[in-house]
Order: sequence, then structure tokens, then C-alpha cells
Amino acid sequence: MDLTLFVQLLISGLLLGGVYALSSIGLTLIFGVMKIVNFAHGEFLMIAMYLSFWLYHLLHVDPYLSIAVVAPALFGLGLLTYHIGVRPTLGAPHLNQIFVMVGLSIVIENAALLWWSADFRTVTLDYLRVQIVLGPYPGFGLEEVIINPGRLIAFFVGLAISVAFYFFLKLSYSGKIIRATSQDRSTALLMGIDIDKVYRLTFAVGLLLVGVAGALMIPMFTVHPFVGFEFVLVMFVVVVFGGMGSVAGAVLAGLFIGVVEVFSDFLIGPDSKQAVYFLLFIAVLVLKPSGLFGLKGEEEVERIEAIE
Amino acid sequence: MKPSSSRRSAFGLAAALLALGLAPLFIRNDFYLDGFILVFLWASFSGAWNILGGYAGMVSLGHNAFFAIGAYTSTLLFLRLGITPWLGMFAGGLLAAAVGILLGIVCFRLRSHYFALATLAFGQVVFILTMNWRGLTQGAEGIALPIEPSLAHMVFASKLAYVYLGFGLFLVVLAVAIAIERSRLGYFLTAFRENEDAARALGVKTGQVRLIAMALSAFLSAVAGTYYAQYVVYIDPSGVSRLQLSVQVALFAIVGGLGTFSGPIIGACIFVPITIALRSYLGTTAPGLHMIIYGLILVLTMLYMPKGIYGTLKARMTARTQKESRR
Repeated sequence: MDLTLFVQLLISGLLLGGVYALSSIGLTLIFGVMKIVNFAHGEFLMIAMYLSFWLYHLLHVDPYLSIAVVAPALFGLGLLTYHIGVRPTLGAPHLNQIFVMVGLSIVIENAALLWWSADFRTVTLDYLRVQIVLGPYPGFGLEEVIINPGRLIAFFVGLAISVAFYFFLKLSYSGKIIRATSQDRSTALLMGIDIDKVYRLTFAVGLLLVGVAGALMIPMFTVHPFVGFEFVLVMFVVVVFGGMGSVAGAVLAGLFIGVVEVFSDFLIGPDSKQAVYFLLFIAVLVLKPSGLFGLKGEEEVERIEAIE
Repeated sequence: MKPSSSRRSAFGLAAALLALGLAPLFIRNDFYLDGFILVFLWASFSGAWNILGGYAGMVSLGHNAFFAIGAYTSTLLFLRLGITPWLGMFAGGLLAAAVGILLGIVCFRLRSHYFALATLAFGQVVFILTMNWRGLTQGAEGIALPIEPSLAHMVFASKLAYVYLGFGLFLVVLAVAIAIERSRLGYFLTAFRENEDAARALGVKTGQVRLIAMALSAFLSAVAGTYYAQYVVYIDPSGVSRLQLSVQVALFAIVGGLGTFSGPIIGACIFVPITIALRSYLGTTAPGLHMIIYGLILVLTMLYMPKGIYGTLKARMTARTQKESRR
């Protein structure tokens, strides 16, 4: 493989990984704080993509501007879902937690199929048709490298939001109580933190983040009722790789998985690329289940009690 | 509780089985017989899932892999080597059990959500393999079995034969479940599910008993896969190895009654008729509607009847008999 090709694949991989990272942050946040895997996360991404699509299609709202509508809408949906489906199962066995979300994902996916049919829908933006060309840089032995502008935008907006979110967790009061609850629930409770409020906020913010991801993705990816299922599998890989609950881990793992996918696509072929990261996934689960950045022992964590 | 109650429930079980077994004889309509076949198929597969998911509480989302191993093994052995599916069924079952044990050794230290994710990834790897290993599975194109009815080939012209084949499979799964429930193995698995540390402290070899449960569960799932292949006489990844199969069988067991031998058949008796009715009345006008209903029933069961239909009924009955005996 020559250098130009390598750089091209690396850049494509990182840009794809940026999308994965952004869509996985919400999932890892919800797990970190509530110890619940949101099996319906992909379907919420699908809802966000459809919202953005219809806003563009019916009202000609630019997808990047639609974030202002889609993100709050998903935040509200998060509050609703928390109240109806998540809160009642917090003290229940894991199986109940898992299958409430699995059931919800089945309902959302098939409701989308019923209402919007299985058609593939895309948003094509004229201003994203331009191709950004880097190089050539003969000094480094590099020829032209092409960059997809939609993915570049998604990458940088995603990165900016990840950084903003990091400071939200670090500096704001809401962020602090979320982190406190994540680290030690009982002590947080003793300090007078309203755990129910933290959970509600966490779940809603998790969905807000996936809402932003959906709007950023609609100019590049087609949306259909099963798109959530496609992406949620990658998100699981990313979240476990980065260490469940670690936001920084999800960002790095997202970039890594993006690169792995693009390279295995090129080297082995598009059919088997998924198999590569699933095998990696199982390997991580077996060798270091806490992931690259997770807290040790997290994978064996006890279930939490119901909120009184 | 009085001793008569267990005798009463054994009598009830025998009566229900007799009714299930005799009813098809009085039905001349292939459409309804097809319903019985599907009930037995799903009750068997779901019952197999229940051994690991219900008794041991290990939620597997990768059982589609075992179903696929069963379907592909018996079919390929028959088409390539001429080995009858009656033997191929056992070959598939043993292969699935071996794979299940390996998966168990690798994944059993993972807890709850992590175990579900790991098995999900495993199931998806098998799906990708069946899609892309075209030399073996012919990919999405699928493999058709020749339709030449003969007992030796396990292909039949009459639906009634498939009904009783399925009934036999279901009885085997049921017998295994009842045997587990009444044996030490069942108590060990339940002990593990309820409190692993306490179970270990009491000397339960939690790893070993779960591997046995995994092997039994994988074996029976694979046999159900062979039964599916022989009935539909066509297998492809979307029929036998898609992830949704795992969710579906888990759903039947959970709604029916998790960790009870009656749960899976109750689940199948509820969901299969719903599916058939919706498909035949609405046809293709409302794709996905039956899945919406599945999902809603699952969510509502988890929220309001966490023990499933059988578990909830049983708890009520026990409460009533206790009240009566106190009088």
C-alpha cells in the first residue's frame, strides 16, 4: 500500500469514526451513570435522522440548522421515555431492563416501517458536492487526498460538542452531580443529590446527543427504518471498546473503529468488514471487559436499587 | 401448600398436552395445521433459550447462531454427503453444543448487560458468516432442499406429519426443562441466578452448571433449526441466522413465564396466532404491525407483569391456596 492511499484511508476512517464517536457518547453516558444499556439507542438515532429529513423535505430547513429543533425534541423524548420505560425498571432484574429497551426498539423500528415505509431517503445538499482536495505534497511523497466535506463538518461539529460536553460534565453543577452519581451512587445520595433528577437529566442529555448526531449524519447517510439497528451495533462496539461509561474513551474508540472499518473494507472487502470489528469486540470483552478507559470491575457491577 | 396441588398441576399439564396433541387430528385445514407447526417450532426454540436465559438468568441475544448451526449442518450434511437429517440433526446439535461451551468459557465471567452484548456480537458474527461464506452457505441466495417426500429424508407431503414431528420435538424440550427444574441442576442454576456469591459459598460450581445449561440450550436450539429447515425446505440467513430470532424466542419465554417449563408454550400460543391473524387479514398492507404488537406486549409485560403470564398466575394461585389453608 502506498503512502497516499494509506493517508487517504486513514483520513476517511477518522472522519467516519467521528460520526461513530458522536453517536456513541450518549450511550456511554447513560451506561456510566445508570448502569443500563440503552438497547433502543439506535432507534432514537433513526428518529433524529427522520426528523431532520422531514424538516428538510417539507420545510426546507437546512439539516445543520435543524439541530436546533431535533436536539430539544430528542431531549423531550428522553424525559418521556425515562418516565414511562426506564424509571419503573431501575430496581428490577437486568433482564427486565434489557427487554424493556429491546421491546421499545422493536416498537419504534416497526412503527417507522409502518408510517414511513421501507424506502431509503436521502438529503442531498448542493454545497456539499464540492470535494476538498489536499496536496499534492511531493516533499512527503504524497499525491492528492480527497476529503468529503459532509464528513468533515460532522467530524468537527462532533468534536466541538464532545469538548463542550466534557466541560459541561467538568464545570457545571448538573455535570458535577452526574459525575458524582456515576462514581458513587450511595455517597451522592447521602450528599443530598436528587438521584432521580440526575437519571432523568442523564437519559435526556444522552438522547439530545444522539439527536445532534442524527442531524449531522442525514446529509451523508440514507435513513430507513432499520438504520438504527445498523448503527447501534457499531455503537455497542465503540462503547465497550472505550470502556462503558467513559466519554473520552468513546471518542477515541469511535475514531479507532472508524479507521478499522475503512481499512478492513479496503483490505478484506465490504462484506466482511463488520465481522472484523465484532471479533475485535468479543476479544475486548474477553481480555479486558472494562475497555480501554473504563473503571476496573465495572463489568461486574451490582444492580442498583429502585428509586423510592 | 397441600400435596394435592402438585398432583393437580401434573394432571393439568397432562390434559393440556393431550389436548394439544389430539387437536390436530380433527383439523383438516392446512392453514390451521401450519399454525400448530409454528407453535411447536417456536415453543421448542424458546424452551431451549429458556434453559439458559430463564433458569440461569443469562440473557443470550446470540441464540440465532445455534439455530443457524442446526439448520445449516443437517442441510449441508444431507446435500453434500447424503447423510439423513435424522442423524444430521444430532450432528448439528453437538456442533452447536460445542460452540456454546466455547462461547460460555469465554463469556461467562461477564455479567448481565455485558453478557447480552457479547452474545449479540457472536450471533451477528455467525449471521455475517452465513451471508458471506458463499462456498458453504450460498449466502443470501439460500439453500433449497429437494422436495421428495420420504421418511428417510425427513421431508413429508402431509402437514400432519410435520405437526407430530414438531410435537415430538416440543415434548423432548419440555421433558428436559421439567427434568432440569426438578433436578439439582435446576436448583443450582436458580441459586446462581438469585445470588451468585451465596451460591458459590454453598459449594455450587456455578461455572460448570452454567456450561451444562448452555450446552443443552444450544443443542436443542440447533435441533429446532433442523426442524425449521426440514419444514420450510429452504434456508437462508434471514430465515435462520438473523438476530431478531434471538429476540423473538426470548420474548416468547419472557412473556409466557421466564424460567418455567410452561412459559415458552404459553408465549408461542399467544404470539403465533397473533402473527398469523395479522398476516392473513392485513397481508402486506401493514408491514411491521405484528412486530409493533410484539414490542408493546413485551414492554407492558416487563413493566406490569415482570414474572410473565405463568409466573403471575402461579403467584396468585399460591396466594389463594395459602389463604384457604389458613382458614
